[in-house]
Amino acid sequence: MISQLPIINLVALLLMAIMVPFIKKISFRATLWLGGILLIGVLVSSVFIFIHVANVGDIIYHFGDYESFLGIEFKVDPFASLFTLFVGTLAFIIYVYSSGDKTEGIESPEFSRYYVLYFLMLFAMFGILYSNDLFNTYVFIEIISLTSCAIISIKRKKEPYPAAFRYVLLNEIGSLSFLFGIAMLYMISGHLNIDLLANTIQSGWTTLPINIIFAIVFMTVGLSLKAAIFPFHIWLPDAHASAPSTSSAILSAVVVKIYILVLIKLILKVFGVELFASLGMDTVLLIFGGAGMIMGSIFAMTQKDLKRMLGYSSVSQIGYIVVGLALMSDLGLRSAFFHIISHGLTKAALFLSVGIVIYLKKSRSVKGFEGLGFQIPIAMTVFGIAAFSMIGIPLTSGFIAKWNLGIAVESASQYIFLGVIVISSLLNAMYYLPILFAAFLKDNPEHQEKVSIEKIPAAMLLPIVVLGLSILLIGIYPNLLMQLIDLVIARL
Amino acid sequence: MNDTIVKSITRLVIPFVQVYGIFIILNGHVSPGGGFSGGALLGTSLILYTLVFGAIKAKHKFSHKASEIAESGGILIFVTVGLIAIFVGMPFLTNLAAGFPAGSAGAILSAGMIPIIMIGIGIKVASTMITLFHKLIEEVIQ
Repeated sequence: MISQLPIINLVALLLMAIMVPFIKKISFRATLWLGGILLIGVLVSSVFIFIHVANVGDIIYHFGDYESFLGIEFKVDPFASLFTLFVGTLAFIIYVYSSGDKTEGIESPEFSRYYVLYFLMLFAMFGILYSNDLFNTYVFIEIISLTSCAIISIKRKKEPYPAAFRYVLLNEIGSLSFLFGIAMLYMISGHLNIDLLANTIQSGWTTLPINIIFAIVFMTVGLSLKAAIFPFHIWLPDAHASAPSTSSAILSAVVVKIYILVLIKLILKVFGVELFASLGMDTVLLIFGGAGMIMGSIFAMTQKDLKRMLGYSSVSQIGYIVVGLALMSDLGLRSAFFHIISHGLTKAALFLSVGIVIYLKKSRSVKGFEGLGFQIPIAMTVFGIAAFSMIGIPLTSGFIAKWNLGIAVESASQYIFLGVIVISSLLNAMYYLPILFAAFLKDNPEHQEKVSIEKIPAAMLLPIVVLGLSILLIGIYPNLLMQLIDLVIARL
Repeated sequence: MNDTIVKSITRLVIPFVQVYGIFIILNGHVSPGGGFSGGALLGTSLILYTLVFGAIKAKHKFSHKASEIAESGGILIFVTVGLIAIFVGMPFLTNLAAGFPAGSAGAILSAGMIPIIMIGIGIKVASTMITLFHKLIEEVIQ
């Protein structure tokens, strides 16, 4: 029975997506409740899957009972199940927030469409993580790019359209280079299944090395383009800034990470670390990541739009993950996985608390935070915790992530990156701290008498409080998460 | 388009195109063809109708509501057929082993669940094509 759970998760998300247009006619509240219950169910079953996979062994699922060289195969290992748990948890938190947030541009006719896209996107993300088949991964990647393009431009205003168009153009280039890489691999092996492909890579390397070089380069560049790794990041700030806050939260915290996870899957399971490193691709990723860590922060400092600033901050944080991955060691991978989860929580907390600020101020400017810490104390406290986590101040999860990256960098004797981490953290502090100072230490001269606690819907506050607490929890007890990550790496 | 020749030829051609589309959908597992190509034919026939008789008249033939139902319905057919296998205890989308009748080879009612799935795909593809086309036309009109 438990081996059927992954597919039941997928089918449940897909069915929810296509049922929304029908149920919303009866009652929209009922739709929201149903979606919430369904997400809880998916989460619970993901927990069961994780426990089963961790204790018993991988779940291998053949669609239609065909052999793996004929049909489609799902392989749920600790890697897939841990990250589906991560995706599901964040998706549920953001879902609760979005059900309370009817303010920021999404109006009721678009609201049901938003949830159709949301569940389709979740469906595709779960599918990518479960799938053990490259072409299937490509199909799910396409579903994600189309749904996220629609979610960016859902507001039916002029402003997000160019951003969404640029997003879809660049992402299509990314998808197509990924597809080209798949074609190259298929040419040498005749398989799309990841396990079978991995067996033939070594013999392919002796017969048709040019194919493998093309495949590695095209797939890495394609996925970097979609994951907004530094020189390919130009679409991210616009796209994430012009989307509604809830969409930016899911796009920045989860969707971008999925592509990095696909890249990790490719490097570790298909090509193998030695082959990837012998082509010097690890150095390329290391340079991209290091440049992203610095440049993302520098770009973020110059932004006047709060959400664009957070977008550029994502670029720099993705740099940390890429550096961890590019070290090609267990320690580096450990820090990359930790950072993926830590940054997911942190960036979701930032975008959602900024959503409350926008809800209150009706503007996205970095200025005008004076006294806001007293008007919306909870939201600004969570913003503060998340900002500390971004900077890497102890007791937050960001500190543990950077600490682990530092250890990994040190043991790989890439000492220059220790300096890069410190500089990037200082740059982070330079653009997050002024906001916090303004919010908590300055008075609002205009509404001196109006400094009172504003009423914010509970459905918007509860999720960000949970996010803030979990950032602290992971920061204080990192081993809770580290044990799981060690298990993932041991079985990868 | 106010051309009598085009209009009457279209009226004449559409039923044949649609019957051919249904034929292709239903015979997908016996001869070349299948849900996608047959659905595309069905979709094209309605696109032809829209082109010749205008968007307003076409909306009466195939309204927004109908396309919504058809689109979700197509997936629903596919997923429920797949889920039957799970209830029997086999992997998702298992065909004959899950108890679908095999039928005699070459007949339309054969190959277990494939004809049912093909119908679902056909409905989905046809309605998607029409919806996309109508959406584009609406944007132009506005």
